Amino acid sequence: MAHSIHGFESADLVPAIPPAGVATLAVRNALRRPAAVVGLMLLGLIAMMAILAPWLTSFDPFLISGPSLASPSLAHLMGTDAIGRDLFSGIVFGTRASLLIALSVGLVATICGVTIGSISGFFGGIVDDVLMRITEAFQVLPRFFLVAVVIAVFGPGIERLILILGLTSWPILARVVRGEVVATRQLDYVLASEALGASRAHLIRHVLLPQVMPAVFVMLGLMMGQVLLIEAGLGFIGLGDPSVITWGTLAGDAQGFFRAGWWLVFFPGMAITAAVLGFNLSGDALSASIQGR
Amino acid sequence: MQWFQQFAAFRCDSALRQLNSRFVVRRLLQVVPTAFGIVLIGFLLVHLAPGDPVAAVAGENGDAAYYAFMRHRFELDKPLPQQMATYFERVASGDMGTSYVHGRGSLSLVLERVPATLLLTGTALVLAIAMSIPLGAFAAGRPHGARDIGISAIVLTLYSAPAFWLAQLGILVVALKLGLVPVQGMTSAGSTQTGLARALDVAWHLALPALVLASQEMAAFVRLTRAGLIDELRRDHVRTARAKGLTERLVLFRHAMPRALLPVITVIGARIGQLIAGAVIIEIVFGWPGIGRLMLEAIQTRDTPLLLALFMTISFAVVLANFITDLAYGAFDPRIRVR
Amino acid sequence: MRREQIVLLWILVSLSVAGCTTDKSIARPFVAALTSDPGQLNSAITTNGGVHTAAGVLYDGLVELDDHLKPVPALATSWEIEQGGALYRFHLRHGVRWHDGKPFTAADVKFTFDSLLLKYHSRTRASLSSVLLRIDTLDPYTLEFHFKRPYAPLLQQLNVEEAPIMPQHVFQGVDPLRNPANNAPVGTGPYRFISYSPGSEIRFAANNDYFSGEPAIKNLSLRIIPDASTQVIAFEAGEVDWLYGVPGPERNRLRQDKRFRVVQYPGYSGGSNCVVTLGFNLDRPVFQDVRVRRAVAHATNRQQVLERVLFGEGRVADAPISSGIGFAHASDLQIPAFDTATAKTLLDQAGWRSGKPGDIRTAHHVKGIPEETPFVVGFTGMPGQTKYGDILRAQLRAVGLDLQVKPLESAVFAETVFKKRDFDTAIISYCNGTDPEIGVRRQYVSSNIGPVPFSNTAAYRNSEVDSLFDAASSALDTVTRKRLYHRIQEIAVRDQPYVWLVETLNTVAFKARCSGFSNSPHFVATAHCAN
Repeated sequence: MAHSIHGFESADLVPAIPPAGVATLAVRNALRRPAAVVGLMLLGLIAMMAILAPWLTSFDPFLISGPSLASPSLAHLMGTDAIGRDLFSGIVFGTRASLLIALSVGLVATICGVTIGSISGFFGGIVDDVLMRITEAFQVLPRFFLVAVVIAVFGPGIERLILILGLTSWPILARVVRGEVVATRQLDYVLASEALGASRAHLIRHVLLPQVMPAVFVMLGLMMGQVLLIEAGLGFIGLGDPSVITWGTLAGDAQGFFRAGWWLVFFPGMAITAAVLGFNLSGDALSASIQGR
Repeated sequence: MQWFQQFAAFRCDSALRQLNSRFVVRRLLQVVPTAFGIVLIGFLLVHLAPGDPVAAVAGENGDAAYYAFMRHRFELDKPLPQQMATYFERVASGDMGTSYVHGRGSLSLVLERVPATLLLTGTALVLAIAMSIPLGAFAAGRPHGARDIGISAIVLTLYSAPAFWLAQLGILVVALKLGLVPVQGMTSAGSTQTGLARALDVAWHLALPALVLASQEMAAFVRLTRAGLIDELRRDHVRTARAKGLTERLVLFRHAMPRALLPVITVIGARIGQLIAGAVIIEIVFGWPGIGRLMLEAIQTRDTPLLLALFMTISFAVVLANFITDLAYGAFDPRIRVR
Repeated sequence: MRREQIVLLWILVSLSVAGCTTDKSIARPFVAALTSDPGQLNSAITTNGGVHTAAGVLYDGLVELDDHLKPVPALATSWEIEQGGALYRFHLRHGVRWHDGKPFTAADVKFTFDSLLLKYHSRTRASLSSVLLRIDTLDPYTLEFHFKRPYAPLLQQLNVEEAPIMPQHVFQGVDPLRNPANNAPVGTGPYRFISYSPGSEIRFAANNDYFSGEPAIKNLSLRIIPDASTQVIAFEAGEVDWLYGVPGPERNRLRQDKRFRVVQYPGYSGGSNCVVTLGFNLDRPVFQDVRVRRAVAHATNRQQVLERVLFGEGRVADAPISSGIGFAHASDLQIPAFDTATAKTLLDQAGWRSGKPGDIRTAHHVKGIPEETPFVVGFTGMPGQTKYGDILRAQLRAVGLDLQVKPLESAVFAETVFKKRDFDTAIISYCNGTDPEIGVRRQYVSSNIGPVPFSNTAAYRNSEVDSLFDAASSALDTVTRKRLYHRIQEIAVRDQPYVWLVETLNTVAFKARCSGFSNSPHFVATAHCAN
């Protein structure tokens, strides 16, 4: 539970719902909440920025396109940096890299977490014990510190960042999935289908997984928000990758310009906050609607 | 604070009685391999990394003989397994090696920074809880009402913002524009104050960094208090209390709050990892002399023994916090103890 | 306690705290901001800049260097040079005492060199240990340096930065790297050590026994503030009186503020006269053609680098040797000017062609390069230098070249660039020091290609240049040395193993009510502040 963002042991709180239409039900429920609407709107806006990046701006974010440290204007909506690069196009193109990092980490973590969690919950016994001990060991690794050390000594790189964050973010998912699987297995219809001779693989894939996915999505939303924050923190302490523009590297580059160019500090921080808020609100709303509260 | 005393007396007493030693021992045994694994990961990570730590110590313009000499001085010319064996031996006896840069024991370097970090994180935690409980109660008063949504929106936005960004905006507005608190540091420059004057000086420097860190921690606590209270207020014993004609305030604080706060207490341990990560950033922005600053310097100067000592101290703190959390869970929630 | 009471109490406490501490100007020390915690304060065993900055006021060298880098007396009052430059005899100052009261003698100097500087101070060790024969103490106030061959730059290497003198009675017989005195140091300098709070503050008090007079500013405090922006804010808020460096964009604002003075210093000794230099890895096929190297130089807008990276603090480099070493700097060289047309022509000739403007160029019959390989090269630098990569990438894209910026933390940078030589181009700030022998030679001679950090990055090999450097180091008269160094620079510009970008300057800022600071690690010793 160490990284369960709001302190819930989701496994304890998520009641078992029969699998039929559980995901669609959850989404429909979620959409009735204003928080969810705001969250999804924020995420939608950010996704649009990522997709439409080349059409939103005419400047190459790597090239000099204006004077040094120009304040926001019609030509440069968010001003320019010291070198004369357009910040707005940096933010717009940075959306792609930042989202790519968050989604990739989510993917790696989901693959690890769902696999380990469902095996652990399904087989129980000694397999469960061993896997959960490993999960705990990974869970207590200080993630930010670990990433910072690795990036500092091996040099920056997006693949490296994704891999390390992915490989250290899965334990919470594994625990959630395991809890769900354990709870679901006890339900009558699961026991029944097992008695009727359904194979284990079939059970896991068609009965248990659909049941756990909503909870996984909740955790994923919260986790991807955290990934964005970690990436920004690395940028701040100067460990961003300068060959890729992300919100984190933009925030890091801005550090020397605290007073001389407020826009350089303000807009990247703003973008990060909006995206993380989007992830958190959506995840929250989904979680609340699953819990039926 | 009567509710808390009541709650603590009743709860802890009965809980500890129920908490059997087998559960504790089993939990403790699980900590050992985890700790060993952490030391191993840390050692391999730092020693297999590219780059010659001596280059960072020696700086520019050394000659080859100088580097060989320095490597020998720091025992970096031994094979890796031998370095590792020596290292584990030393760690077992409480020696985490001598810092290249400081020329002193790295564990003592870390430990002398721990109080500053504890002061910052501890104050932030207390502040966060102190601000969250009233906010959570206020929000629970009318679930999904305007004030509930407003409070949720504010704490969630604070939670979602990067720590350095909030810290810098805080410095700009509170310290520089309004001049309410100092910009950085833990004490006034060259101050020779002692006793109360010094404590006040430190508190004055602490206010803003602790507040920024606390503001990021509030989301979880407000959320838990609110949810717990909404839950509790529906329950029978609360209804009974209301039926007895107690004021709404008394019902809230004496009957609903103690049980609603249970998850708040148990979640504290689980937040330690994140809290330290946040503190690292806050310490850098505010020049707060804690382990976060030490970590940044150790990374920049490639001070391997110090980096390892830090990595292990932080990891152990997180392990310990999780261990205590689990015990607390076990103590307060019989379901887990049975498992 | 009720909530209202708690809130009230908090407000009261806050108010009283704020109220009683704002009036703090009484007996406040002079505060300078340090970027990093030095860790220890023995500057004889390291070249770490942070240690030298923090510990400078504690110690003295045998000589100091004036603004024109001329040696002036410090612990040594006079000296003679004999045997054509192979023997230096120093006469030491009488009556100097260490901060603990013990007298300073020639034995301390000999001990410092033999046991500390020549073992642990990488610059002094590298330059002296191979040429120095021995040090003799003739009497407590006279000592001689004997060299194997005439050695010209010695006097430039004896100031407090390059050779701080340490007390023998404190260090004898104790491992210098783990001596507790490193954290409670004893020196002869204008300030003595008071206290050291790790990560926070180092305090000093004026040495009332200092040989050139007790400093006017009695209390000095070095505050450790790692974040450069926070340093500036603390400076503006009045918490700090001196900044060793000011982030570029903040300078103009501070300069226009009447409360402050912003001054450029060339930096002192080992860290002085730095030239930011792009080095080509000449072992890589792509850079073996001098036309490609010249094209990169022509495509580089160094004026823009000066304006947008350094914010005008410095000057465009116009020769391989810094203009700060006046006698050796060649000001009449024709180094490639910013001219994208010439750059494009040279690249076309070298076989790097582009389909249409804006595209990345690809190889056509370039020796050692597969056909159609795009011109994408790495730009390796330490984290603080990546801003040069950002702007060079933008500039080189205009002629169809692509740079991939790779920041590496210093130890990894040193290993990657100098040991493994796994890089295409590398950015290094080569500090030329006070003599070409200190900081220029290492960059060009073929005997100095790796594995040592900050050596000959390009792997430039030219036997003529090698012998010219040897001749220049033993020649004692300045006219001969000037001629030899001029020839070296002509050859270097012809071969272009490096692009010399900009010469950096150090910018310090201090309160306008203070004055009299010196350009040395003792900066504050000669200063005074009006109230």
